[in-house]
Amino acid sequence: MGRYIARRLLLLVLVIWCILTILFALFHLLPGDPTSIFVDNNFSVEMIQRQKRLWGLTDPLWLQYLHYIRNMAFFRFGDSFFQDQPVATILVDRTANTCLMIVPALIVSVALGTVLGALAGWRRASRFEQTTVTVSLFLHSAPSFFVGILALMVFSYDLRWLPPGGMVSLGGPQGFWAVLGSRDYLQHLILPALVLVSREITGPILLLRSSMLEVKSSDFIDILRAKGLRERHILTHATRNALLPLVTYIAVMTSTLFQGQVLLEIIFAWPGIGRELVTALGDLDYPVAQGALYIMALVTLTMNFGADLLYGLIDPRSST
Amino acid sequence: MALVEIEGLEIRYRTEAGDARAVDGVSLSIEGGQYLGLVGESGCGKSTIAKAILGILPPAGRIEAGAIRYAGRDLVGLPPAELRRLRWRDIALVPQSAMNGFDPVYTIERQMTEAIIAHRRMPRAERRQRIEALFEMVGLERSRIKDYPHQFSGGMRQRAMIAMALVLDPDFIVADEPTTGLDVIVQDQILHRIRTIHDATDKAMLLITHDMAVVSENCDRIAVMYAGRIMEYGGASVFEAPYHPYTLGLCNAFPNLADRDRPLISIPGAPPDLVAPPAGCRFHARCPFATTRCTTEVPELLEVAPGHVVACHYVDRAEEFRARAADPATWGGPCASGSQVLPSRHRTANRDIT
Amino acid sequence: MTMTGAYVSGFSRTLRALGTIRRYPSGTASLIVVLAFIILGIVGPTVAPHGPFDVLYNQDRSVLRLSPPTWRAWFGTTNQGMDVASQLIWGTRVALLVGLLSALGSVVIGTLVGLVAGYFGGWTDEILMRLTDVAFGIPFLPFAMVVISIARPSIGLVILLVICFLWRTTARVIRAQVLTLRSRPFIWAARAAGAGHLHVLFRHITPNVLPLSFLYMAVGVQAGVMLEAALSFLGFGDPNVMSWGIMLNAAFAAGAMRSAWWWVLPPGLALSLFVISIFMITRAYEELLDPRLRAV
Repeated sequence: MGRYIARRLLLLVLVIWCILTILFALFHLLPGDPTSIFVDNNFSVEMIQRQKRLWGLTDPLWLQYLHYIRNMAFFRFGDSFFQDQPVATILVDRTANTCLMIVPALIVSVALGTVLGALAGWRRASRFEQTTVTVSLFLHSAPSFFVGILALMVFSYDLRWLPPGGMVSLGGPQGFWAVLGSRDYLQHLILPALVLVSREITGPILLLRSSMLEVKSSDFIDILRAKGLRERHILTHATRNALLPLVTYIAVMTSTLFQGQVLLEIIFAWPGIGRELVTALGDLDYPVAQGALYIMALVTLTMNFGADLLYGLIDPRSST
Repeated sequence: MALVEIEGLEIRYRTEAGDARAVDGVSLSIEGGQYLGLVGESGCGKSTIAKAILGILPPAGRIEAGAIRYAGRDLVGLPPAELRRLRWRDIALVPQSAMNGFDPVYTIERQMTEAIIAHRRMPRAERRQRIEALFEMVGLERSRIKDYPHQFSGGMRQRAMIAMALVLDPDFIVADEPTTGLDVIVQDQILHRIRTIHDATDKAMLLITHDMAVVSENCDRIAVMYAGRIMEYGGASVFEAPYHPYTLGLCNAFPNLADRDRPLISIPGAPPDLVAPPAGCRFHARCPFATTRCTTEVPELLEVAPGHVVACHYVDRAEEFRARAADPATWGGPCASGSQVLPSRHRTANRDIT
Repeated sequence: MTMTGAYVSGFSRTLRALGTIRRYPSGTASLIVVLAFIILGIVGPTVAPHGPFDVLYNQDRSVLRLSPPTWRAWFGTTNQGMDVASQLIWGTRVALLVGLLSALGSVVIGTLVGLVAGYFGGWTDEILMRLTDVAFGIPFLPFAMVVISIARPSIGLVILLVICFLWRTTARVIRAQVLTLRSRPFIWAARAAGAGHLHVLFRHITPNVLPLSFLYMAVGVQAGVMLEAALSFLGFGDPNVMSWGIMLNAAFAAGAMRSAWWWVLPPGLALSLFVISIFMITRAYEELLDPRLRAV
């Protein structure tokens, strides 16, 4: 197990390094001077030179690369071009906001999806199973950003039940904990979270159903029944076994959610990291864009890494 | 009254082609302390009977008619709650596939404990003690009760399975091909262990196997099953002096310690389709002695000796059958193709030795 | 003889499976929908009443802005007076093109990587699979957005990025399949008979992974269309090509969700219908290939 973790960890570092290098190449090796994108024509040559020195752009490329790797490794992203704040501060705030949207959705999706999927698999060929699976298949394959647009059109603009976007109202609570505890946040959360859940829940449902079907036909289920256990008790055994693949799936789900919620953040004007990336790219605020992309890649990687480790922990068979 | 009485049992499986009559009018009885061997080729319905006794038929299977009486109570149609109370406490199972018989994500102890908890109140320490004692009884180390199933070898898992079957001290144990997938030496150990437990505890047991030799070495009574029906049923005389040509064929297919030079002969052909079973005797298509009568008239079980019944029209020609059955030519040569009765146990034995 | 046998069996199995998709109720409906989109995509420009960027005018020469559906403009017009129905039809062709090209590209690359990695094993496998790991670590949508904004948005670049994103799954699945195939007797029989590596790889193994490649082809079409729409919706699409995502982007930016439902619904529904139909076909095909596969 220890060797396995070490190997995975080494791989993780390797992949991070590869991605950093790709990022570096993207931002530095592409034709055109990075400064020319944001530096105004009115800048004097001297000012441009000074700015370039400030960002180390006058150094040889290999030195720039080394500095870049070191800075990224310690999360030193520099300052934003336009917002008068360090990039790291901005990104921490936006990442927290993103979590404020996806974590509740994730919890509901996994909890509810597990129960529904397990029941669907257990009661094979029932009307409940067929309905659940059909609806899940549709929601699973439908483009979630259009679902979001539809939800917004119906519930915010037409029925006016829910606010049409944002995380809190203007002049609403500020700061992570204040937002988290507020009613205002909950009202703004409902619609985007529902849209997220409508798609994310289909993963656990379909997965649990199919792994439940497989577990159900295992011999040990017959033995449990022959042992005279109650149906509820047998269902617990079956679900526990069927849950194994879900652990991996949740981690993968989190990473896709983290990168895929860009769309929903735009639609619902949610001030998360995805929206920050889109804005930064529009403003040519490259330090922010680069940092955001790096954070997203890190989340993806750690989640995949976590998936591998968790699987080893939860399945007694894989530990030997 | 016998402890277990199976009467006129009919079980069908839904298949795409129609209903398969997996078990067709089987009657058996097992007295307390008796060891019955049920033998037949794979697919003859013997495992289905085991599943029916424990009420774990797959969803496609259903009991069409008949009764399975345990201590006088019919298990067929018993309310689920009552059936549940009876399970494992009175009737336990040593399954065909010990490999997958345990839930892989719980320890063996936990799985044995839950069987106790489901039926009895027993202090924690006493439960632990009982499980450890049973582990010792089946030849496993006490300290290994906390292991997960995957940490055991196939043979150890089957021993653990036997220990689990004994955990509530049931009066009746069904062992459904308990040695499938184990190597020969372990097979013998497991069968010996079951035999010892039977002798020591005097429990009623039903051993299901395809191996005539296993039955002859272990069981008090023998039932030979073919294509969902009982062909011959009785005591040791069933293999000492068989009447039914199918029993003769089965005995031929396994080596006999008393007659080492006798060639192994397998029965040519394959068992019939149970969706549309043949008329008359189900064995007639493969029987070297079949007549036109056999193709039309279903033979009744006739008593040939006290407690020994045979379903053949020609029980009076048994002497002649026995003599002719010993000749490989009767069965279409010593290496008849399409053999279904594979003496796998002993084939593996030879390979292991060489 | 055996090699053509293997080839035919792999290929005909695919055809047979495609034929029997009809047996799945959702499969039939989905096939019809996809077929309709294909026909629309091919003949579309000849039946579309206007070009995708043509502006419609009123009789008084003013621009016909945000007109609800009428006989003249079946699905109404945009805020710039463009015909929504025509844009939708032109967009169909783009969706098909993007879907097909990105699927083809990713499946060819993925299959080749999977085949080579699985068959040769060792260091080749190690390097290719670590490469796949790197690809799996890249968050697609943000990454694509950055690349497009540094380069210039074009439909070709979008397709290229989608291919970069999709090949990795195909590679992993094909590799796993090759690993199981490699241990099958007919492979070492062929090797023992003196067949070279390339011969075994392309004559014996490839035909047997083709059905799986076809499956990922369908998956690729769905993902390609969806990703193009998402990127375009976010404003990273090719502004010179009318696609459903571009339509949604324009409608969203113009606040049409409040005022002009006829502008939002057609591209959104067309996208959903197309993507869902392809998904249903994929699923039916997957179950036909392997009845045990009832997974996501």
